[in-house]
Parts: sequence; structure tokens; C-alpha cells
Amino acid sequence: MKSEKQFQILVCIDGSEASYSGLRYAVRMGDDHSADLTLLFVRPVDEGLSSGGLQLEIARENMLNWGHELPGMRALKRGRDMLVEMGFMEDSWKEQVVHTDVRGDQLGDNSIVYTNEEGAKITLEMMVSPSVERGILDEIEIGEYDITIIGMCAEDETGSGKIRPATTKAVVSQSPTPVLVARDLEQDHGHFMCVDFTDKAIEAAVKDAKIAARCHCPIYLYSVAETDDELPIALDVVARARAAIEAAGMQVVSDTVEVGNPVEKILEQGRKYSLIVMADTSVKGFRRFFQTSVAYEVLERAENSVMIVR
Amino acid sequence: MRASLRLPGHPVLRSIMLFLREKRWLLFAIVVGVVFYLAPPPEGLSRDAQLVLVISVVAVILFMTEPIPLPAVAFMIIIAQVLLLGRDVAEVGASLMNGSVFFIIGSLMLAVAVVKQKLDKRLAYLIVRLSGTKTRNIAIGISVVSGLLASVIGEHTVAAMMLPVALTLITLTSDDPKKVRNLAAVLLFSIAYGSSIAGIGTPSGGARNAIMIGYWKEFFYDPTDPNTAKYLVDYVKWVMVSYPVFLAQLPFVIIILFSTFNPEYKHLTRAVVKLRAQIELEGPMKPSHFMAIGLFFLTLVGWVFFSNTIGLGTIALIGGVAFMVFGLVRWEDLNSGVNWGVVWLYAAAISLGIQMKDSGAAMWLADSFLTILPDFMETGTPLLASVSILTTFVTNTMSNGAAVAVLGPITLNLAHSTGSSELVVGFVTAISSAFAYLTVIGTPACTIVYASGYLKTTDFLKVGYKMVIMSTIILLVFAALYWPMIGL
Repeated sequence: MKSEKQFQILVCIDGSEASYSGLRYAVRMGDDHSADLTLLFVRPVDEGLSSGGLQLEIARENMLNWGHELPGMRALKRGRDMLVEMGFMEDSWKEQVVHTDVRGDQLGDNSIVYTNEEGAKITLEMMVSPSVERGILDEIEIGEYDITIIGMCAEDETGSGKIRPATTKAVVSQSPTPVLVARDLEQDHGHFMCVDFTDKAIEAAVKDAKIAARCHCPIYLYSVAETDDELPIALDVVARARAAIEAAGMQVVSDTVEVGNPVEKILEQGRKYSLIVMADTSVKGFRRFFQTSVAYEVLERAENSVMIVR
Repeated sequence: MRASLRLPGHPVLRSIMLFLREKRWLLFAIVVGVVFYLAPPPEGLSRDAQLVLVISVVAVILFMTEPIPLPAVAFMIIIAQVLLLGRDVAEVGASLMNGSVFFIIGSLMLAVAVVKQKLDKRLAYLIVRLSGTKTRNIAIGISVVSGLLASVIGEHTVAAMMLPVALTLITLTSDDPKKVRNLAAVLLFSIAYGSSIAGIGTPSGGARNAIMIGYWKEFFYDPTDPNTAKYLVDYVKWVMVSYPVFLAQLPFVIIILFSTFNPEYKHLTRAVVKLRAQIELEGPMKPSHFMAIGLFFLTLVGWVFFSNTIGLGTIALIGGVAFMVFGLVRWEDLNSGVNWGVVWLYAAAISLGIQMKDSGAAMWLADSFLTILPDFMETGTPLLASVSILTTFVTNTMSNGAAVAVLGPITLNLAHSTGSSELVVGFVTAISSAFAYLTVIGTPACTIVYASGYLKTTDFLKVGYKMVIMSTIILLVFAALYWPMIGL
């Protein structure tokens, strides 16, 4: 059973370097085992037509008979080995293998749950789903995670099992919880927290501040006014965000307000930080599907990691 | 705290939006279908043929985009034939079960039965004994063995058996995938392309071949006219036409692979020694292995000598049943190893193909295609080149069997309209459907080796276009020079 106080982190592993950089960040967030980690690999269910009517499981079983592991399990075990190397996990942890039958797929869902005596939990989960996107969203829904970390592969890095950029974007747009999109996530450059003029942006800033506090990351507040007329509003919102964060017991290193195009300014200023943090405030329900917000444009164009907070 | 993080959107609304997003291609297909249905029939197209085209267009969109399970598409085709075309249920039912579908069922059962015998280690032993330890020779050995086997038992069977052989050689060379990227590409593509080019070698090499044989018989054979007997293509005739095309491509596969991916290791001595040690632990071949090989050989003999009288499909079914009778495979294994939805899909696609021909839709499409072609491309090698290019394009977007089922009626009518040989155009269509080297889903062998996790989707493009050019040139050269020599 999951402990109420434990923070839940879902890390989507696909074998890409971006996903492992996300895992390293998750370890930092779960310092001293204050968070449970789930490493998830989603395998789309085989439709059969592309393998000529022969179930792909036949080939997979053959691989297993020769002692080869499935690609997803290889990727997950590399993640587990990294956790051991980083000292986040030890060989003495209890191991429990769980298999769940899935209708229509012989291999089903498989997971290995590691627990230590203090109740900290790390799960390696290989899930089968109609699509990678559906699998990740289902897991977010079922597992009640506090944050999801997903790697953003370059288009030319996509390979078997790798999460496609379109899938990452779909998960971000539909996830009910914050999603950190990792692109070669460097750890020590702080959270570049962008706030717009809504109350929800301030709420989101406080939420991100709590996440930043978990990994001892410095917080840099930032806002952009599109015109000089809006400058006082931007200054006000940054001041309110700072006050709210400090009231919650955390510190802000700096706050900055500039005038210009929000997307361009955020991309220009945000590239030197570990994370650009955006509040997804403009979009809800139908609008989220049909409206391009600043947050999604930044997510699309940024070269470093981006976190969308709701 | 957790509750406070769960903000946006009502769960029901989120579910609806997720559903709409996942099914957007289904909605698109329905909209396209409704527009085509409501539009007046173009000149020269009957209302019945227009309705067949509506079903075909919707089905092709669903084949390519897969927003719903493909067996559901198969059943939609069947339902649409009854509801939209007003066909009798018994007539539709009869069109679903023919010799081609029997062959597909039987050959898939044989494929599972053969894979379950675990003869892969014997094959690995054969390859490393013959090829030694040089990477180039091992790749040649893998592609030759894969090709020879795939030409008779289907590329998916061979790919499933050979995949662990290649993976073992790769992992015994290095545990780090980055250090063996090119080696993995060469060995895995040797399996995939070695098998893919071989699938055209004999009728039993793939469902597409049986589908084309079925179309020739269905469309052009008239038992009362002896002149149409040439449309009954038997096993030997197919082999005479197609096997040399496969053999001619084989050396080029290795040349293309080594010029595209330069393996990091020129010798695999350490891996081969370890692999031999692993294989030797297996001990001598068991009686069940000999029995399985014998049964398969007898099935092959049946195809060669009796396919003209009782049909390829019946023999394939006899082979599959024999494996069960002798206790070499359990029905449960066959039931779980064969994707029966795919059988339904092929059956429905073939049935629709027959409707396209009977309604005149295929002829209308063929004539429309001809109006696009410049005059000089309407006969001879230019026409064959255009058929080959069209088929290559379609087969790279869907399975090759489905591509032949969809395109066959059109290209065969194209041949009829231009006065070209329906046999030649049919062979070009069936053989070109194997040129699906560009995508992961193009051929079963490509899909299976991709499942290993060692290849990127871009690898298929990087090497695939060279394979397409090579295969197309060889096919057209054979069509122009060799086929006339054997009276085709």
C-alpha cells in the first residue's frame, strides 16, 4: 500500500538518454527516499497485421528462450542499475515480481516492486497498452502520481520503444498532473519559473516551488509584459508570486520582468536554466485541444527541459 | 496536496477528448465515406461501383491509419457489402472463404508449428559452421539461409526463428548497444531483407502470392475456355518466373548493407565460439525434429506436385493438421500464435477486391489511372515500371498482402485495358509488394526485427531506398528479358 505522505513520481523510460536524465532528476526530487519512484515502459499491443498474421509474441518468446530480454525490460533494468549506482537503491531491497494478465496479449503487464525496510518503494513496470500515450495516461490516472517525467527524443532518435515527440506532447496536453518534459536535463541550474497574469499562474508557481524545494533547486521568477502598458501588471504578478512562495516557506533567488513577445523572451532567457516552468492556465477542456497557449509553444520550441504545471 | 495538483478538465470531458483524438482517423474516414456516398457518380461509374469505391476508400484509410482494430475493419467491409451494396448474406459469406484464404490459414498454422519446433539453434549451427567468423561471411550466411527458407515457409516464420540467432551474436560481441550499432543493423537487416526478397520466390512465400493466384483464377479463368487455362498458375510456374528474381537480388542485399552500415567488428570470433558452445549444449537432433522436417518436406512436395489439382490452400491445411495429428504442436499454440483477425482481414479484402472487379469499379479506376499516365507509359516496360512504383508506394503504407488485395483488381484491369499480359502485370504487382523496405510495418520480417529494439525507424529509410531502387531495376530487367524467354 502506498503511504499517504509519500510523493509519487512516474518516470517514463524508453531507453533514450533524455528519459535517463529525467530519472536522475527524479532521484534528486526523491532525496532520502521521500518519494516513491515508478519506472514505466509501455509496449503497444501487437495488432498482428504488420507481422503477417503471426503473433509477434512468437518471436518474443523465442528471444526469451534464448535468454534475451525484451527491449523494454532492458531499458528498465538499465534504469534500476543507475539507481543502484547513484546509491538511491541497494541490492538488499526486497524484490517482488507481479504479473497481470492482459486480455489479448500473452505476455501481459509485468512489474518488479523493490521495497526497503522503511517502506520506500521503487517499481519497474512494463505495461502493454493499445498505444504508448494511452498507457502513460492510464498509469497517471491509476497511480495518482504527483509528477510525471517523460523524455523528449529528437525525431532522429526515435527507435523501437522510444516515445515519439507527438506522444510526449499528447501526454502533456492531457495529463491532469504536472509533467516534466526532459531534454538532456542538467540538474544544477535552477527552475526558471514563468508566471502570467492569472491567479492560477501564482498557484502553479507555489506548486513548482514545492517541487523545486524537494531537489534543493534555486527558483528564478520571470514574467513578460507584451506592452509597456502591461508592465505594472507584470511587476505586480511577480511580486505576488514571490510573496506566495515565500509565505509557503521557500526562497526566490531573483525576479525579473521584461517587455516583449512572451514566447521569444522565455526561450531566450530560459535556455540557461535546468527547467523552464510554465503554468498551463489558458487551457481547459475543449480549449486545450484547439488553442495554442504560450506554454505549449515554449514546450514545442525549447531546447532544454520544460515543466508544465497545473 | 495531491488533490490540489489535480486541476484541469472534467474526467468525462477528458475521456471524450481522448477518444476523439485517438479516433480522429476513423472520423475522417467516415466523413470521406459520407461525402463520396452523397456525391453523384462520376462519368462512366455506375452507382453500384461507386458504392464499392466508397467502401474501398474508407477501408484503405482505416488500413493505413489503424484507428480501430483491423479485424473490425474486416467486419465493417463484410457488413457494408450486405447493407450498402445489398448483396445476399450467403453470397458475401461464400466470397470470404476461398483457396487463398485457406492457404493463408494453413501457412500461418505451419509457421507457428515450425517455429515451435525450436530448430533455430540448428540453423544457427549451420550458419556459423558454413560461414566461419568473418562478419561479412556471417551476414551472407544469415541472408542466404533466411532467403532460402523464407522462399518456402514465409518470411515471418524465418524472421521469428533467426532473430535470436542474430541477437545472440550481437550481445556476445558487446553488451553496449552503442558499440554494436552498425553490426546489429547489418545482421538484423540481413534477416529482414534476405527474407523479404525471398517471399516472392514461391507461392508459399507469402499471402500476397496466394492472393494474386486467386485473383487470376477468379477474374480470367473460364473452365469452358481452354485458352484461359494459362491463368491457373501452379507452384512450379510461379517458381520459374519469380525464383530467379529473388536469387539475383541476394548478392546486392549484402553489398547495400555493408555500404550503408560499416560494422564495428570485422570478425566475430569470440561471439561465434560462445554461440557454438551454447548450441552444443543442445545435444543431437531429436526424433521430433526429424519428423517436423519430414512433414514440412512432404507439404512442400504436395505444393509442387498437387497444387494444380487440389489447390495450395488445401495442401497448406493438410500440413497444418498433420503437425497436430503427430503431436508436434498443440491447437492452443496454433490458436494463440496465429492472429485470426488478420485472416479475416485478408478474407474481407479479397472479397472486396472481387466486388471491385464485378461492379466495374476496378476497371474505372484502371482507366482513370491510364488517363494520368503519359502515352509512352501505357505499354511495355514503362507501364510495368508505373505499376511497380504504385505498388511500392502502397505496400510501404500497409501490409503487403493487403496491398495486393487492394491493388490487384486495379492493376489486372489496367493490363486488360492496355492489352498487356495480365500475368506479367500480376507478377509485377505481387513481386513489387515485397519492396516495402522503407518502413517498419512494410513487411512482417521488418516488423519482427524492429521488435528487437536495436533499430531506429530512420535506419529503414537510410538503407530502404537503395533496396527499392535495386529491386525495381532487377524486376524490370527480368520482366523485359527473362520472362519472355520462358513464354510469359
